[in-house]
Amino acid sequence: MSKPHVIVIGAGFTGVATAHDLALRGFEVTVVERGPIVNGTSGRTHGLLHCGGRYCVKDQESAIECIDENWILRKIVPQVIEPNGGMFVALDDNDVEYGESWTAGCDACNIPYERLTPKEALEIEPNLNPDLLLAYSVPDGTFDPLRLALAFAATAKSNGAIFRLYTDVTELLMDGQGTVTGVKIWDRSADERGELFADVVVSATGAWSGQIAEMAGAYVPIQPTPGVMVAYDRRLVSNVINRLCKPSDGDIVVPQRRMVVVGTTSYDVEDLDYVPVNEEHVQLMLERGSELLPTLRNTNSRGIFVATRPLIGAGIPGRSVARTFKCFDHKENDGIDGFVTITGGKATTLRMMAEKTTDMVCQKLGVSVECRTAEVPLLSYRQFYALQN
Amino acid sequence: MSERENKPNTSNWFMWFDVRHRDIGDWAFVLHRLTALGLVLYLGMHLIVLGTLTLGPDAFNSFIDLAHNPLFIFGELLVVAAALYHGLNGLRVGLTSFGVAIPYQKQLWYVVMAIAVIGSIIFAISMFTA
Amino acid sequence: MSTSKWDVTFLVYRKKGQGTPHYDEFTIKVNPDEYVLDAIERIWAYQDRSLVFAHACHHSTCGACGMRVNGVEKLTCITLIRDVTADGGKVKVDPLRNFPIISDLTVDMGVLYTRMDEVGHRPVLPLSEEPAEPGVKPVKIAAEGDIIRLADCIECGLCISACPIANTTSGYLGPAVLAGALQHGLDSDQHLFSLVEGENGVWRCHSAFECTEVCPSYVEPAGKIMELRKQVIWKRIFGIAK
Repeated sequence: MSKPHVIVIGAGFTGVATAHDLALRGFEVTVVERGPIVNGTSGRTHGLLHCGGRYCVKDQESAIECIDENWILRKIVPQVIEPNGGMFVALDDNDVEYGESWTAGCDACNIPYERLTPKEALEIEPNLNPDLLLAYSVPDGTFDPLRLALAFAATAKSNGAIFRLYTDVTELLMDGQGTVTGVKIWDRSADERGELFADVVVSATGAWSGQIAEMAGAYVPIQPTPGVMVAYDRRLVSNVINRLCKPSDGDIVVPQRRMVVVGTTSYDVEDLDYVPVNEEHVQLMLERGSELLPTLRNTNSRGIFVATRPLIGAGIPGRSVARTFKCFDHKENDGIDGFVTITGGKATTLRMMAEKTTDMVCQKLGVSVECRTAEVPLLSYRQFYALQN
Repeated sequence: MSERENKPNTSNWFMWFDVRHRDIGDWAFVLHRLTALGLVLYLGMHLIVLGTLTLGPDAFNSFIDLAHNPLFIFGELLVVAAALYHGLNGLRVGLTSFGVAIPYQKQLWYVVMAIAVIGSIIFAISMFTA
Repeated sequence: MSTSKWDVTFLVYRKKGQGTPHYDEFTIKVNPDEYVLDAIERIWAYQDRSLVFAHACHHSTCGACGMRVNGVEKLTCITLIRDVTADGGKVKVDPLRNFPIISDLTVDMGVLYTRMDEVGHRPVLPLSEEPAEPGVKPVKIAAEGDIIRLADCIECGLCISACPIANTTSGYLGPAVLAGALQHGLDSDQHLFSLVEGENGVWRCHSAFECTEVCPSYVEPAGKIMELRKQVIWKRIFGIAK
């Protein structure tokens, strides 16, 4: 008996994690991606493994997802994580006041934190603004974006998943009765066109999921929201530094290798395939970032980049949209069978998003297999290149 | 270690001598290889010439006459210059290979070149005025 | 940032499947303070959807976007257009050398990754676990924020492409891999030692220093190879590397 075949469109974080989960649960999986692994939003994240503290006041659902997944990822894929910890830093009275609801939020979401005096904080991070009023340490971390995705992809590959990179999905194949049966593809590396058939097609295309859904005449309420990030060429901190305030622009500093990345902003775009840098935002990153780390002003920028987050809920301004994810079975809303969209969410919750998506695929195909991705350690990310299938 | 069927996109020995857009270390490497080839060639010729000794004094003496030709002397000067460079750069490579002065490999190369050029000039003067 | 736009012509290496390689010309308006990768991405978005190129993080932490720009190996996501051409100028973009070409500007770096695994290099390390490097200051975050880390290697392959020896000897482990081997030191395991001192190890290097020249990530592979040679000799004579 042949295994049910699932096509996953997109090899971003959600795509590779879903491919891993599907392959682990015994499905035959083909991932179709128009570029290399994580060339879109996922690759361009600042690489912050959230502890949830950023969301624990306004969006506790996201915060709980973050802290749970934070612990799981540390366990299953330590090879790509720098478990350096993080700090929330208060610089003015507003921040201190926000700290009260913040600690309450952390308690409610089970996020461990420890209060530090300015002296203690400066001992750990000598480059912090010496005028800070108080700080909390939290279990943030940093991950390497490409390698995190590769580790999932490698493990999926070892369980039989096939990755078709540099391959565009040009059309969704429909059977004429409102069921998606496969995809038309264009392999750009060989310049060949073809068709692939599947029992279910999963669109894991994040900010682009609206466009893919449209191919089937379905609808996804997605608000693509780009943000600017700036990488500076010195590693000024060992911890992730968050401003203790409600999420706004330029209030996170993430150390990556020998850099720090300051992020992020939000604005609107029309064309997702090339998002220009908003130059005012670059200046803003320096101003906001140097409030936390004054030495940033004496540091050169190394790279300026833009990532387009997929926020759920069209028509609502960026920051107030919940950062949780949603899985859409298009049979329910659009009457289209064989087609599932997963979008929203954050890098930190990739595994959980994959679990819910795979649950939905199982339910659609009437299969019942337990999810094991929270326990199974991932292979070396380099195996993605070593394995041939 | 698995080798792929698909071959790497470049593998030509003459790419050793591709110095476009490259830096001091690569120039040093290229000159080192070129001078080595030159010296090997010279060694071959040298042995052939010495071989004429077995043919008797006349054969050898007629060659020695040829050796007084200025063009021949210039050739010998090239051999001296190549030997100087190759030997001195060999010391530079040797030093860095033992972890000495790695950050100064470029400056070392300038020193090597300076000594090689000055030495060649001294040899040139003494060879052409002799 | 607010300078006037430049017209720049990009000569891009193209190859599809078993087809013949050639160059395509694309002229686009760019801001000189944009990166070469931005221009390539825009050529793909607006001029030629069939272009194949690799990229991911856009801030020099992943190592996916290595290419040769005007013949020199560059991490294109941090290479300013201003630094490689002028208004009205040309930029030639080629895939990296010494790797099999997948298509256009993308190469297969599988061999590099496999070898990095074989020497046990770990790409991401917490500061606390970072081994101190011999001959340099111990790892710490100074007030001015400078640290030395071996985990900086992002496996971009620039050093392999620039290396004249990797060019003729595909078996040569190559600068990145040898530098990676130093992470554990030669005393850690016998297999590593035999790899490093074997025929494709440190003695293959002929000191062209091109790897250090093109490394975008402060790894200085040439220096690391020399350090390994010292360790190999030490281990041969005294039975222990340090």
